[in-house]
Amino acid sequence: MAVRAQFENSNEVGVFSLLTNSYAVVAVGASENFYSVFEAELQDVIPICHATIAGTRLVGRLAVGNKNGLLVPTTTTDQELQHLRNTLPDSVKIQRIEERLSALGNVICCNDHVALVHPDLERETEEILADVLGVEVFRQTVADNVLTGSYMALSNQGGIVHPKTSVRDQDELSSLLQVPLVAGSVNRGSSVVGAGMVVNDWLAITGLDTTATELSVIESVFRLGEMAPGGASAGVNKESIVESFY
Amino acid sequence: MAVDTARLEELLKRPLYVYDLPQELLETLSPKNANQQPVDAEQPEPTPIEPEVAAQEAAIATSTQCSLCRVSYQNVQEQRSHVRSDHHRYNLKAQLRGNAPLDEIQFVKAVGELDESISGSESSESEDEEADGSGNTTLAALLKKQAKLSQATEEETEPAVKRGSPKHPLFWLSSSKLPSNTSLGVYRTIFSAVEQAEPDHLVDSLRRKQLAPIKARTNNASAQQDTSALSPHIFMCMIGGGHFAAMLVSLAPEIHRKQGGVDERQARVIAHKTFHRYTTRRKQGGSQSASDASRGAAHSAGSSLRRYNEAALEKDVRDLLADWRQMIDSAELLFIRATGKTNRKTLFGQYDGQVLRQNDPRIRGFPFNTRRATQSELMRCFKELTRVKVSEVDEAALAAAAAAAEAKRQAETSKPSTPRPQPQKPKLSPEEEAAQLHTTQIQAFIRRSKIPALMSYITNNSIPSTFTFQSTDSPQNFRCPSPLHFAANLNAAPVVLALLTRAGSDPIAVNSEGRTPFELAGDRATRDAFRIARHELGESKWDWNAAKVPSPVSKADADSRAERERKAAEEEEKDRRKADMDRIKQEDAERAAQQASSKSGGRTLGTVEKTAAEKRDEETRGMTPEMRMRLERERRARAAEERMRRSK
Repeated sequence: MAVRAQFENSNEVGVFSLLTNSYAVVAVGASENFYSVFEAELQDVIPICHATIAGTRLVGRLAVGNKNGLLVPTTTTDQELQHLRNTLPDSVKIQRIEERLSALGNVICCNDHVALVHPDLERETEEILADVLGVEVFRQTVADNVLTGSYMALSNQGGIVHPKTSVRDQDELSSLLQVPLVAGSVNRGSSVVGAGMVVNDWLAITGLDTTATELSVIESVFRLGEMAPGGASAGVNKESIVESFY
Repeated sequence: MAVDTARLEELLKRPLYVYDLPQELLETLSPKNANQQPVDAEQPEPTPIEPEVAAQEAAIATSTQCSLCRVSYQNVQEQRSHVRSDHHRYNLKAQLRGNAPLDEIQFVKAVGELDESISGSESSESEDEEADGSGNTTLAALLKKQAKLSQATEEETEPAVKRGSPKHPLFWLSSSKLPSNTSLGVYRTIFSAVEQAEPDHLVDSLRRKQLAPIKARTNNASAQQDTSALSPHIFMCMIGGGHFAAMLVSLAPEIHRKQGGVDERQARVIAHKTFHRYTTRRKQGGSQSASDASRGAAHSAGSSLRRYNEAALEKDVRDLLADWRQMIDSAELLFIRATGKTNRKTLFGQYDGQVLRQNDPRIRGFPFNTRRATQSELMRCFKELTRVKVSEVDEAALAAAAAAAEAKRQAETSKPSTPRPQPQKPKLSPEEEAAQLHTTQIQAFIRRSKIPALMSYITNNSIPSTFTFQSTDSPQNFRCPSPLHFAANLNAAPVVLALLTRAGSDPIAVNSEGRTPFELAGDRATRDAFRIARHELGESKWDWNAAKVPSPVSKADADSRAERERKAAEEEEKDRRKADMDRIKQEDAERAAQQASSKSGGRTLGTVEKTAAEKRDEETRGMTPEMRMRLERERRARAAEERMRRSK
C-alpha cells in the first residue's frame, strides 16, 4: 500500500517522519492530517511516536532506525530520549551516538539486514550500527553522492535510488544489498527519494505531489501488494486506488 | 643563390595562396621546429553504446563486481568483503577527491611504500597509531600521503601543461632560401585529421595539395559547373543571430587577365547564398526559442514573429543544404560556425534528408574571430584561411627572452614567497616620538584649562618656549602650531595669560595662515589676557605691535573695568526685571477688572449652560470603551454612597 501525505504543505515526508517495521516516529507539529495518515494505516499494528529530535521536527533526517533499534544524534536531549524510550517497544534498542555527521538519516540508509553509509562515517559509528541495528554496514555512494540516506529509500523488499544512478551501479548495489533496486524519483521528479518518502515492508508514504507513475514504480519495487498481479487485495480496492490517482 | 633569395622575398610581398605556392618556395619548405610535439589525432572516439535497459523486472541483480575498483567476484560474499576492504574504501575516497582509483596491485604497492616510510620515520605518533592496530589508520595515512603527493605533482606538472597545451592554430614552416627569421604560417585546419596526425609529413601533404590555376572562362556557365564539380572545393557556412551565409569555393584559383596583361588570381566561388530573418530578441538578445525554453512561451506579437522566422530560417537553410547536397558531400572540408543550441540544431539536428552530420571528420571551425554571417565575411574568412602568413621574428631574441622569463619564474617559485613588506609608516626618530607625546599632553592640558599641570609639565620636561606641535600636517596644527595659538583659539584666557607670563611663549609667532595668537582670540577676555600680559611683561619683552596686541592694560584696570561692566549689566538687568514686573501687574489688574465687569453683565448670549449629561459626555470623549466603563462604574458607586449617606 502506498499513500500520499503532506506535512504542513511540505512534500518531504521522509524529513518529518521515520517508518520501520516495528515502530514509526512522526514529528510533533500542527499537521494533524499527516499524523492521521500514519494512524489510519498503522494503528493497532505498530506504535507511532510523536517526537522531536534536538528540539527540531526533522526526525527523519536526524535519526535512523530499523525494526531492531533506533539511533539518534548526540544533540538529542535527555527528555527526548526518555520519551522515545517510553513510547517505543522494549525490543527496540535506542542509542545516542557521537558522530560528526549528525544528520544520521542523511548519511545512513538501512533495512533490517544491511546499511549503506557515508564513506566518511566514523568506525565506531559503524560498529554501533552493526550492534544496535543488527545490520551489515557498507560504505558506498549512490550516483556519486555521499548522502546515501537522502538519495536512497530501502526496505527488506526492495529499494529505490537516485534517478541518475547508472545501470551498472544499480546492479552492483542490488547485488550487494540482495534486494531489487530501481532508479526513480518521488514528488513529481524529486531526486531526493530518501527524504521524499518513508517505507517499510508493507507501507510506503510519499509526498502529495508524487505522480501515479512514480507511485506505481514504488509499489512494484517495494512489493506493496495491490499493484502486483496476484496481490491479495487486487481488485478489492481498485476503485479507491483509481480515485487516489487523480 | 642571392638572386633566388631576392626573388623569393619579392614573392613574399604578394599574398601567398596555400594551394598555389611558387614551385621554388615549395621545394625548400621544412617544418619550423623539429622537436614539435606530436599532434594528437582527434579521432572521434566511438561513444560507448549504453546497453538498452531492458524492461525492469523486480529481480536482484547478480553483477558481483565493483566498477570503481574494476574487479569482479565469484559470489556475493566475496563482493561484500571487498566493499568492506581498505582497497575499496580508499578508492571511494579517492574518487570523491577527484583522484584516480588504484587497482589492487597498485594499492598493495602504495600501502607497501607507506609501511616503509612509516618504519623509516619512527615517530612516536605513528607508533601510537600503529598501536590502534586497525587498518583504518593505514588507510588514513595513505590518504594523507596521497593528498600531499597529489599537491606536489600538481606543482610539478603545472608549468609543463601550460607550455604544451595550447595547440597553435598555425603550422609554421621555414625555407632554406629565406632568411632564418622569416617563417611561413599555414592554418592546421586545412589539413585532414589523418594528415594532422603525422606532423612530419605536413609539408609533403602541403605539396600534394597544390593545384593548377584555372583560366577564367567567359562562356556558358554549365561547362564551368562541370569542371568545378570535379575540382577540389570547400564548403563554408556561418549561422547566428538570424543571419546565415554559405558558400562553396573551389580551391583552385582562377586567373583573370586584367588590363595591362597582369594576371590576377581570384577565389572561384561555385555557389553562395545568404539569408536573414528576424529571430533575435531586440535589446534582450538571445533567440526566441531559447527564451521560450527558459521562461515559458511569451505571447507577444514580436515573439510569434520571431518564432515563425526561426522556423522559416531553419527551413530555408535545410532546403539550401539539400540543394547543395552533392557538392557538400564531395567537399574537402566543411568550415562551419554555428554557436548555440538553436543554430546547431538547424544544421545538425535530426531530420529527414540530413546533409550535415555532427561527427563528420571534415567539419572545422574557424580558428579566428569571425563577424556577422555575410557573404563578404565568408570571403574574408576564405582568404584568411588560405593565405600563407609571413612572420619575421628574431627567434633567437625571442628564445632568449623566454629563457630569461622562465629563469625568473623559477627563481620566484624556488624562493619561498617571502611576505611582501607592508607599506609602513616612516619610522619616527626618538626625538619626534617625544615631541608627539608632548603635543598630545599639552593639547590635553590646554583643552581642559589645567594651568598648574601645564606649567609643571612644561618645567619638568624643560619644553622650550618656542615649542611647536608635532605632525604639522594635521588640520588643527595648521591653524594652531603653538600652545599659545591653541589656547587663544580655544578662548582660554587664563591659559593664555599663564603661557605668556610664566612659560614665556612667543606672541609674535605666526601660524601657517600668517596670524599671531592674538588674532585667533575669539572673545574679549582672551584679548584682555594678551593686553594684561603686555602690561605685565613690559614693552621691551616682545615687539607687541608685531604681535598685533593693542595697548597694555593692568590687571587691576581690566578687573575694575570688568567689575564696572558687570555692575552695569546687573543694573540694566534689574531695571528690565522691574519693568517687566510692573507690566505684568498692570495686565493682571486689567484682566481682573474686565472679568468683574463681564460677571456683573450676567450670562453672555450664545453660550448655553451645559446639562450634567452633556458634561459627562464631554469628559468621556476620546476614552476607550473600557475606561469609559470604569469611569461610569465609579460615578455610580459614588452616587450610591451619596444616596446611602442621605438616607441615614
